[in-house]
Amino acid sequence: MRYVLGRLGQAAAVLLAAFTVAFILLQAMPGDAIMIKFENPELGLSPDQIAALRQAYGADTPLPAQYLHSLLGFLGGDFGYSIQSGTPVRQLLAEVVPGTLILAALGFVSAVILAVGITILANLPGLRRIADVFRSLPSLFVAVPVFWLGIVLIQVFSFQLRLIPVINPGPIEGLILPVLTLAVPISAPIAQILIRSVDDVLGYPFVAVVRARGADPWWILWRNVARNAVLPAFTMAGVLFGELIGGAVVTETVFGRAGVGRLTADAVTQQDTPILLAIVLLSATAFVVINLVVDLLYPVLDPRLGPRRRARVAAPRERKVVSV
Amino acid sequence: MPKPRRILAGLAAATVLAIALAGCSANASPAPGSSTEAGAPVTGGTLVYLEHQTHTGLYPPGAGFYPNGGIVNNIADRLVYQDPKTLEFEPWIASKWESNADATEYTFTIRDGVTFSDGTPLDAAVVAKNFDLYGLGDPARGLTVSEAINNYESSEVVDKNTVKFHFSAPSPGFLQATSTINSGLLSDKTLDLTFEKFGPGNAANIIGSGPFTVENEKIGTGLDLVARKDYKWAPKSWSNQGRPYLDRIQITVTPEASVRVGALLAGQAGLVRNVEAQDEPQVTGAGFEVFAPQTNGVNNGLSLRFRNEKLSDIRVRQALIAGIDRAELVKTIYTKNYPLATSVLSKTALGYVNTEDKFAYDPKKAETLLDEAGWKLGSNGIREKDGKPLTLVVNEAAPQPRSFDALTLVSQQLKKVGVDLQILKADAGTYAKAIQDADQVQIYHSMVGRADLDVIKSQFYSKNRNTLLNRDNSDQSIGDPKLEELLEAVASTADPKARIEASQTVQKYLADEAYVIPFFEEPQVFAAATYVHGFASESVGRPSFDGVWIDKK
Repeated sequence: MRYVLGRLGQAAAVLLAAFTVAFILLQAMPGDAIMIKFENPELGLSPDQIAALRQAYGADTPLPAQYLHSLLGFLGGDFGYSIQSGTPVRQLLAEVVPGTLILAALGFVSAVILAVGITILANLPGLRRIADVFRSLPSLFVAVPVFWLGIVLIQVFSFQLRLIPVINPGPIEGLILPVLTLAVPISAPIAQILIRSVDDVLGYPFVAVVRARGADPWWILWRNVARNAVLPAFTMAGVLFGELIGGAVVTETVFGRAGVGRLTADAVTQQDTPILLAIVLLSATAFVVINLVVDLLYPVLDPRLGPRRRARVAAPRERKVVSV
Repeated sequence: MPKPRRILAGLAAATVLAIALAGCSANASPAPGSSTEAGAPVTGGTLVYLEHQTHTGLYPPGAGFYPNGGIVNNIADRLVYQDPKTLEFEPWIASKWESNADATEYTFTIRDGVTFSDGTPLDAAVVAKNFDLYGLGDPARGLTVSEAINNYESSEVVDKNTVKFHFSAPSPGFLQATSTINSGLLSDKTLDLTFEKFGPGNAANIIGSGPFTVENEKIGTGLDLVARKDYKWAPKSWSNQGRPYLDRIQITVTPEASVRVGALLAGQAGLVRNVEAQDEPQVTGAGFEVFAPQTNGVNNGLSLRFRNEKLSDIRVRQALIAGIDRAELVKTIYTKNYPLATSVLSKTALGYVNTEDKFAYDPKKAETLLDEAGWKLGSNGIREKDGKPLTLVVNEAAPQPRSFDALTLVSQQLKKVGVDLQILKADAGTYAKAIQDADQVQIYHSMVGRADLDVIKSQFYSKNRNTLLNRDNSDQSIGDPKLEELLEAVASTADPKARIEASQTVQKYLADEAYVIPFFEEPQVFAAATYVHGFASESVGRPSFDGVWIDKK
């Protein structure tokens, strides 16, 4: 329990640090959102008019006061307003977060399924001859640009085969291609690590022992190897979250989906500070939570990482516990 | 610096384009701006319209941004209507109007029976309230003044149907200003909203008296325009005098150009905006129609910031003009919908005068001029003077079609006469700062669409867009007071004929002084499926959906 509380405290510190660093960095950038919006020559405003607007927006308030104001607002759940459009940031996030969560979650699950599938195919006793083909898939997947993949999928499945409309699709139809687009590059590192760990585990002496005792390859793969090999891949999954966000930016743009990715891309181009602060905090929270969950789940997957008592109880029953 | 991939893509597109153009140059195409009619209009149905970008707000003075304007143009009516072809005015919400001799006082008679979509009547009082806001702005609410309205002082409600506007100085452009989307009439309640409430997420609460209302807004993805069944105050020249033919227009934001065009060709959309020049042959080749309404204002082109040391010598500016092959540029990067510019203003703009001879391509002359100006060819092929290379920076105008590709080609052309042209591509903050500083950006790429003589003032006047940076931002000084005077004359000469002459004087002056290099007359390019009829646009190319109908399903 103390461990969990400690981790929660750490998480809070990380979030505060993320907020502060983001605030400072955004202030340090040349120009600001008000300038981008109102000093845009296209509005044709005179210098006096621009000065009046700057004052109305409180752009001349000292920075520490602005920082404190934003921080207190965030603590109270008020993320302020988008400078570019004036929409409350909370409303913007509320509209896009569910869509992105679904996309990211399904993308991630599909990526895992894809990765596991590739790993199994690469190790299937019956498919040894073409195993190399499957083994090279992750390198190929990692090299495919998300942008290109999305457009190719649209061209083939929507425009040529006309199976799925890309404009105004149904809620489920609309997820198929984006999820696939997102899953392919995410699955690559997971598959790579899974294949590698399976190879490692297969080389361990205990596998030879099990084989010597007459277990068939399927039994070994499933019962002995899989559970050992999954741990490094699991760690990787926590780290991959960042890539998921990056992939979402492109995927959402190509497929015209509203989402955190596109909101971020637009806010970055416009230096829309309130939105960016909220997104930084949101991403940091997601990172912290995912890594916390991963850390807390380690002992469940691998008794060696749990409290000693459990490990000792578990050890005799689990043949796979072999020092690494 | 140009990325190799972009150049390659540009080359590939140019080749395809050239082949396609050679192949189908004999094909006649429908007149840009209006679609060919076929049979009697059908009422009903939903049109799927693919927008390039998401809208950022519906406050009319800020509706110059195309996605905003496309919505405002269909939900808000204007006092007067400007015919996009003839640019003449006709009654709309105002049944008649008059102004005094020096254009400091305008009186409008408001027609009876017009209601906003919330049921409130559109009368003189609410018209007055509209223009008080658009003419004066309200910085406390973050609401800006409309760029189109000059010298506004106050309004006066004479009676229920009569409103008078007073100006502190002649404002001959005001009548046209009342016809632009920047003067879209909104309901009393809507005018009390703050800037925040005009933003995305609240579009359904922006109440106008136009043929459509907003429904079903999804931030970042799109919204629906729904027909007002009781709409019956269209301008006389509209093909449709009753309710809009369509029941609904589904505006869907589709940022990726290839997806927009692909979706149109695959039958998933009826109308798309912003068909890129390189995609046009694909669309017409498949039998779809391309509409390219002109924007009738200051042409797409370059402003040479003459207050910068390097460009202060007129010979250098003239050399830049002579060193750029504009015809090759338009032929290589664009299509026939982008006519070569013959003046700083578009041929279809009010007051246009041809100054083509000042923009002739003559690389020999360019070299001679640069030699005379003291810029000698250095060892690396770039000219130098006092040890400084002749390096100039131009901004990439991201909203303009294929700006980067065009500038890349211009840069290659100028290299041949020894000028090093760099293209500024930067994040928004850096960009916003750099374009305001002639030491960082010596050449400014832009355009502005507005069908009034004032447009030339909007672009070059020190207190508007100031694209030449005639007013230096660091010390507020004016570099060329004569240009200022000439521009002020355009905006405040009351006599219509004298005003046209004033605009022509500016056009000639800009050409004579070599302050500008106009490229082409910029269109807005749309493409429609064959079942879409009656497509029309207002005078700057924003779609008007009232007369659009479909004969499918």
